[in-house]
Amino acid sequence: MDLRRATTYLCVALTTLWLAPSAWATLGETADSIAKDSNALSAATRTTITRAKYAMQVMKSETTTVREYLTPAGVVFAVAWNGVTHPDLSVLLGCYHEEYRSASAEQQRVQGRRQKQVRSQRLVVESWGHMRNLQGRAYLPELVPEGVNLYEIR
Amino acid sequence: MKFASVSGLWALLVVAAMAGCGGGGGDGGGSTAPAPTLVSITVTPANASLEVGSTGQFTATGTFSDNSTQNLTGSASWSSSATAIATVSDDAASKGTVTAVSAGSAMISATVGTVAGSTVVNTSVAGVAANVMPVTVNGSLCAASSYLNKPCVSVTVCNPDLSACQTVNDILLDTGSFGLRIFRQAIPNLALSQVASGAGSLTGCVQFADGSSLWGPIQRAAVKLGNEPAVQVPIQVIDSSFGSLPLPCTNADPSPVSSGFAGILGVGVLVEDCGPGCVITPSNGVYYRCSGPICVGTTVALADQVQNPVARLPEDNNGLMVQLPSVPVGGVPSLDGSLVLGINTRTNNTPASPTVFPTDANGDIRTIFNSVNSVGFFDTGSNGLFFPNADPAVLPVCPPPNNDWYCPPVTRALLATNVGNPGSPTQIVPFNVSNFFTLVNSPNFVFSDIGGPSTFGFDWGLPFFMGKSVYFGIEGRTSNLGAGPYVAY
Repeated sequence: MDLRRATTYLCVALTTLWLAPSAWATLGETADSIAKDSNALSAATRTTITRAKYAMQVMKSETTTVREYLTPAGVVFAVAWNGVTHPDLSVLLGCYHEEYRSASAEQQRVQGRRQKQVRSQRLVVESWGHMRNLQGRAYLPELVPEGVNLYEIR
Repeated sequence: MKFASVSGLWALLVVAAMAGCGGGGGDGGGSTAPAPTLVSITVTPANASLEVGSTGQFTATGTFSDNSTQNLTGSASWSSSATAIATVSDDAASKGTVTAVSAGSAMISATVGTVAGSTVVNTSVAGVAANVMPVTVNGSLCAASSYLNKPCVSVTVCNPDLSACQTVNDILLDTGSFGLRIFRQAIPNLALSQVASGAGSLTGCVQFADGSSLWGPIQRAAVKLGNEPAVQVPIQVIDSSFGSLPLPCTNADPSPVSSGFAGILGVGVLVEDCGPGCVITPSNGVYYRCSGPICVGTTVALADQVQNPVARLPEDNNGLMVQLPSVPVGGVPSLDGSLVLGINTRTNNTPASPTVFPTDANGDIRTIFNSVNSVGFFDTGSNGLFFPNADPAVLPVCPPPNNDWYCPPVTRALLATNVGNPGSPTQIVPFNVSNFFTLVNSPNFVFSDIGGPSTFGFDWGLPFFMGKSVYFGIEGRTSNLGAGPYVAY
């Protein structure tokens, strides 16, 4: 577990050193990446809501809302969205995007379905819903603070 | 409107009168006023309906440069855009007499010199209600290799001037989306009219919740649902080779084989596929302006967005009803039902007394299952009941790679409660879930008792519709069931 967590932080460090400022990676990063996100996602408004075990930053545009969930230490452990489109996951997942992409590519397409779940070693990405209200979330199970019910992440 | 056939005899009189007028000419008497010239022709009755086998008399009225009008029925040259659907006589004794040959729509034109006028005639088979579309679940309207619980309809798409039409089967009936989308491969003989976006072509990218997407130009078509009059609406012509794929559509489906359908008919409770958000912001991720290979995000007026064609019908535009027979536990090979257009507009769509669930602005309600309240929606385009919070002891998930489905050892009888927006009415819905493997290893392909897990909310997919009449009230319209958006059953 410690090793996994170390990998997570390594991912952050790599992003910060090598990819910034052109990439807006956020999952697993600290809160200051959110300002970059709201630009990349053309968000019109941004608000912060503080709950007992985490804080939530909400970015709203005319068509899509993205919520980023922060640990008390300020690290983004989950993102959730809803709107007319899915947000650009390469922005929200940052350096986890490649891991998501390869896990997603291995998954067989199932027709007739209005949902998808992709699980990789460190990441869970789920989408659900219908036209004009597509919903989804991505989270790092290892970083979800103790006592937070996944049901709240949506 | 219906109208009675009249004798063509009077047309002869008109011809005679015309001949009488024609000789007089402007060469006498030193008058300096130029002879009035023909400016336009109007063909009436407009949007007429005829039953197959019957005839009706059409009239061409000319308007001249001095604002005078004249009946030109006998002197005009008459033609029909689709003689397989309706013919029009150009014989001197019966000019303008239209005969309905088969069900459909045709454009009837009258021409004098270089001036022409036209109107649409809608033809239908006597005794067949114009507002009923057959639905088959894995039956004759679906492609042979269809996936389980797929409801299919047939839609006729025409050029805007009705000069050519094509009837396309294997169209997924989808109450979870809005508007008609058809693969270009399915309508090779049509020339639809591209919706402009500035100097470019309006193009759409729609994403679905399973991560798939559809890309292609937005074009105006005349769409015929059942034997209803054709409606002019923007549709999406699905074509992943058009322009260049933007980020949200990089995985756009290239063919009906990849999507699992030749087209998709979105008839949920909303009108447009994007709505007000796409009117305001160009970076909406749905609409693009393509000039050659360059496609950039664009704003789009509501009228140019892909839209639910039911909302554009002249009469049956306030909603629709999906009607499927009940299916026993264990399933059946295929199922025949119907999509009935309009609510309480005719004798065949008058509801008994269903419970009406107002939805929120997204078309959603709330559903409580195992004491947990989550978002719920009614979707014929989902092929199972997908819901969260199941007790694994009661509803274990099937082992991978079938972990999209529940695998209880025996059929489970379950209950969920639907709650209208914003809090009433409430009603308990009983449903069954059987073992996925037991079902799919049977010869059957249509199941009322199939379901799987969800981590968000309750997706009332096709099994919910079996044995029910489910009404979808369109936003901004009213019926005796109330003001849309609502779902009633």
